[in-house]
Amino acid sequence: MTAEGTALLEASGLTVCRAEDGSVLLDGVDLRVGPGEVLAITGASGAGKSTLLHALLDTLPAGLRRSAGTVRRRGGVVQPGADGRRWRRARCGYVGQDPAVALHPRWRVERIVGEELTGPRAERAQRVRQALELLGLDEEFARRRARELSGGQAQRVVLARALAAGPDILLLDEPTSAMDRDTARRVIEAVRARRGVPELCTVLVTHDPTLVRELADQVLRLSSPATPPLPPRALGPRVGERRSGALGAVLATRGLRVVRPDGAVLLEGADLDLVPGELTTVLGPSGSGKTSLLHALAGRRPATGGQVRLRGRALAPQAHHRRRDELRAVQLVGQHPAGELNPAHRIGRAVARPLRVLHGLDARGSAVAAAELLAAVGLTADLAGHRPHRLSGGQRQRVALARALAARPDVLLLDEPTSALDAASARVVLDLLDRLRAEGMAVLAVTHDPAVARRADQVLHLRGGWLVPHGPVDPLPTVTGRTS
Amino acid sequence: MIRMRLDRGPAVPAAAVTFVALVLLGRQLAPYDPERPVAVPWSPPSGRLPLGADALGRDVLSRVVSGGARLLTVSLAASAAALLCGVALGLVAGWGSASVGRAVRWVCDLLLAVPALILALVLAVALPGATAVVVASVLSGAPLTARVVGARCAEVRDSGYVRSAIERGERTPTVLVRELLPAMSGLIAADAGLRLVTALQLATALAVLGLGPQPPAPDWALMLSENLPGASLNPAALLAPAVPLALTAWLPASAARAAGRRMGGAA
Repeated sequence: MTAEGTALLEASGLTVCRAEDGSVLLDGVDLRVGPGEVLAITGASGAGKSTLLHALLDTLPAGLRRSAGTVRRRGGVVQPGADGRRWRRARCGYVGQDPAVALHPRWRVERIVGEELTGPRAERAQRVRQALELLGLDEEFARRRARELSGGQAQRVVLARALAAGPDILLLDEPTSAMDRDTARRVIEAVRARRGVPELCTVLVTHDPTLVRELADQVLRLSSPATPPLPPRALGPRVGERRSGALGAVLATRGLRVVRPDGAVLLEGADLDLVPGELTTVLGPSGSGKTSLLHALAGRRPATGGQVRLRGRALAPQAHHRRRDELRAVQLVGQHPAGELNPAHRIGRAVARPLRVLHGLDARGSAVAAAELLAAVGLTADLAGHRPHRLSGGQRQRVALARALAARPDVLLLDEPTSALDAASARVVLDLLDRLRAEGMAVLAVTHDPAVARRADQVLHLRGGWLVPHGPVDPLPTVTGRTS
Repeated sequence: MIRMRLDRGPAVPAAAVTFVALVLLGRQLAPYDPERPVAVPWSPPSGRLPLGADALGRDVLSRVVSGGARLLTVSLAASAAALLCGVALGLVAGWGSASVGRAVRWVCDLLLAVPALILALVLAVALPGATAVVVASVLSGAPLTARVVGARCAEVRDSGYVRSAIERGERTPTVLVRELLPAMSGLIAADAGLRLVTALQLATALAVLGLGPQPPAPDWALMLSENLPGASLNPAALLAPAVPLALTAWLPASAARAAGRRMGGAA
């Protein structure tokens, strides 16, 4: 169909700048994706990877402008405006970085996935089922509403929607950031099935070297002058063989039980001990209730049963019933970078706020301390004056972390702390956590990232509602995660 | 395209502020006494009277320049009152428990069943015109504001930043004022524009019907009805108050929208 040598998607000299001050985000990017090819785009957090996808699709957010360059599809120029919109609708599939935010909370999964399909009803239902099955989501799942999905499930649903429509050009922004390895494997297979089909091509933004290695025909590495130079790697004290000298647990749960609103049991009889200075990671398949565990500990969504104890004293199940010093002691960094920061607040102010509320710092002192925290997570000082919409997903994630650290918590709860970060930024964050742990902070991280799990003192697995130590696992739920 | 540029830049808010200031200070800028005859009735526009004269020979320009202050003050006060009540009700509905939310919605629906203009007319019989406009605006506008603000509030309540504010021990009023309101500023600003337009319509309607300011006071709405009979003799006398009346509705409304967008309605 396609003449040999004609690229399906081609961009030349693509330049994007900010409308208000003319600062350049992308400077003359060229790319070319041939029939059946997969292009991987990598680069540091904030290098403009997501912006590049938006520029290709002509869906740049307000405030950004494509000032030069062309996008060609099969050699024909795609004009911005109505032409670009028709082309997007007919030919392109796009999966954004923060899918849970994009889903209509009340729609059922089957409706979301089938949204862009045409044809007879039965055939549409069939294709929806196939797309869900391909990503390991069963039929019962199709009836759920979007707000009942976990982060990784939402990501798969959005992906299933894009795949079901079978677009010529598929653009994926961090498609596996919230997934465990088994689920990510299914995504890899689904994308691999598109490889080599001459009508199809795929563009993939990712930090995951596995994805790049297994899928990419070519790799485009974005670097941007705006990217802050990373601080030299700090050699934090080794945290490893610390378990023997374990002090008493700072945060512990006994018989914690979490039930989803529809009655499904996510967590049963969970006993968990978080020891000062230790990193505990919780692994588990997507949708197994890892986020719910963190929410129960922080009092965001109260547990149905069981107890959470802080230094031996029972904590109220709901955050607004807890005392201020109890709240300060336990800080949670949520999973969706887009929803964690108030769009109306400047970054510096957001990070300074906990210092003022919880530690009584004045305006100047808190601003200085906030700037230090931003530097510690690898962000430049000039970001402090911006509002969140100017930041990339990875930058927002680190701002949310800095804000939680500003409370100087005893226990830090992290939900996928590195999902939107490139390897170098992730290392800065993990090194920082190592240093803070050396000072006695306990960290509980829910993650799929082996780089995080490698540094852990304790690895737990959440499977079928039971929290069990990692390793060869007894299929019967006879052991619970009591570890101290 | 032009409209979008206007909306984004500082031009519209600046123009709106200038316009409001001019209208409020208008009486000082008038070349003649707006309540005294200075020429032959229905004189056409001339060098001395750029917009001609009205039925009693008063200078139309002077009357237009000084005829908006009361109308604008009443409308601004009425819309501000409606907005305040509406936002407060909306926060109560969106933040409070489900039963509180239902109760607020029920009261709002009841109030919305009464047409605003009829309400204003009935009130104007008992109250002075300006008070009637304010009360009618609150009773008919606040439920609408409460509806949108309540719905948005219920959404934002579960967002990560609101939850983390609670988890660092912010008190409820602080969470509402510091987290929720700024996050909803774009929506509230857009709604403020709507409230102003409806308040203006109510104030104008009452004035045209003779329930507002009484002659010989200069007032745009009153001028519309006064100058209608002379439309063929001096059309400028009829058009002159209509143009600023339309501007009053359009400018502050789009300024509010633009300001809301700049305040971080980008989400």
